[in-house]
Amino acid sequence: MIRLENVTKVYKGDVTALRGVNLEIQRGEFVFLVGQSGSGKSTFIRLLNREEVADSGKILLAGKDLGSLRSWSVPALRRNIGCIFQDYKLLEKKTVAENVAFALEVIGQPRPVIRKQVPAILDLVGLSQKAGRFPDELSGGEQQRVSIARAFANRPTVMLADEPTGNLDPATSVGIMKLLDLINRRGTTVVMATHDRSIVNSMQRRVIELDRGVVVRDDSHGIYDEPNGAYE
Amino acid sequence: MYRIWYYFRETFASIWRNLSLTLAAIFTVAISLALVGSSLLVREGAERATAQFQEGVEFIVFMNADASIDQDGAIREVLDNSPAIKDYAYVNQEQAYEEFSTLFSDKPDLVNSVSPAVMPPSYRIVPTDPSAANVTELARQFANQPGVKEVATATEAIRQIDDFSTRVSQALLVAAVVLVVVSALLILNTVFTAIGARRQEIEVMKLVGATNWFIRIPFMLEGTIHGLIGAGLAIPALFVVDNKVLAFFQESDAVPLFRGFAVPSGFVWDTSIWLLLIGGAVGMIGSAIAVTRYLDV
Repeated sequence: MIRLENVTKVYKGDVTALRGVNLEIQRGEFVFLVGQSGSGKSTFIRLLNREEVADSGKILLAGKDLGSLRSWSVPALRRNIGCIFQDYKLLEKKTVAENVAFALEVIGQPRPVIRKQVPAILDLVGLSQKAGRFPDELSGGEQQRVSIARAFANRPTVMLADEPTGNLDPATSVGIMKLLDLINRRGTTVVMATHDRSIVNSMQRRVIELDRGVVVRDDSHGIYDEPNGAYE
Repeated sequence: MYRIWYYFRETFASIWRNLSLTLAAIFTVAISLALVGSSLLVREGAERATAQFQEGVEFIVFMNADASIDQDGAIREVLDNSPAIKDYAYVNQEQAYEEFSTLFSDKPDLVNSVSPAVMPPSYRIVPTDPSAANVTELARQFANQPGVKEVATATEAIRQIDDFSTRVSQALLVAAVVLVVVSALLILNTVFTAIGARRQEIEVMKLVGATNWFIRIPFMLEGTIHGLIGAGLAIPALFVVDNKVLAFFQESDAVPLFRGFAVPSGFVWDTSIWLLLIGGAVGMIGSAIAVTRYLDV
């Protein structure tokens, strides 16, 4: 599904965000990216979404080589990828239903399809009752659910999540993780960058740890902190 | 179909949100295109006015009443053989006297004071090239021939009308070009502001995989509509110029030379279509620059 071959990304001013990263993520996997701030997690996500292009190495996603992708074929790639963020990125002047519908509308889905899809997705994320509310009338957890609904509206094969629980309390975070788990069980590959120790520990999924741009750990059923000495 | 509806909905929502800048852009387009159109009308009017005049241009070579046969023959030979002369007519002393009598029939004293014997015979000449410069040159050459009393030309009138229209249409055109550039910049700025107002939406659109053109089109449509509405407002101004300003010259007794100063209504409509094309193009170019510079898609 996703393969990185010797990927390096250097930002201006010689800041190396990723260095020689090699890894493979299978279809349907749920992967946590962990590591301190500045370890390269966000860059990893942005490379997969093709918001950034690697300086060297090769990234394959759903059979496409992102490095040689023309700019006009980036939209087609993004339709296959759902993205959620710490700050939700909802449109304040649109209702919950309109926010979700917008994502379908701008990729040219016909009106009847949108009318059918939006209620189904809102039902999935548990917001049917709040379809007509505006984002600022919702709690943080509810806003993140809207953002997940929007990302999932086009049934992407990959879901990228950059600190999706970063602004949420633990109880709410658990609800969001259940939702992402549900989406993953429906066949979508999930890659989630996080700081949240308790979530990673409770989910028992694959954990990839980055340290200053290098993969230092890759456990198929990992926890946030490997016991001391395991990789020394 | 859904897509076209989407484009127009977004475009008009954006115009409404940004109304004051939009109006500024539209009125600037309207004023600049009204000037472009007026300039074209004045130039066309002048061309027609002088063309009418040129059709009838005869510069006239008046011979001395006592010019010798040889002198007269020399002139006639030039007229017959020179490629610069298209046609000419000889007016003898009798005919000149008749014309004079008719012209001044209300002044019998004047008519009685002359006789055919003192009237100068003349050649009324249609030159091959009726341009003012050429006529002046030919007149000068004929004036130097022996036996020629004087040469009268209509070139002075033509020059006046040419100068007037050239100056007016050039001044209008310079102002118009400056304003067209200003309107393109205003449209660029308006579209830029519209892009800023929808920054978050654009971010989401890119995120979920909207195509670049899908994102661009509403903005380019917005700029193009500014240009077209501006041109639409300039068109009535053209008819005002045609009906009031050009008509003023035509009816004016003070400047009889300008009586031919008219353009056919078909020309006004043709100019209107040009204004719409220019307006649309200015809007499209202005917004295209804004989109490519600030949208980054």
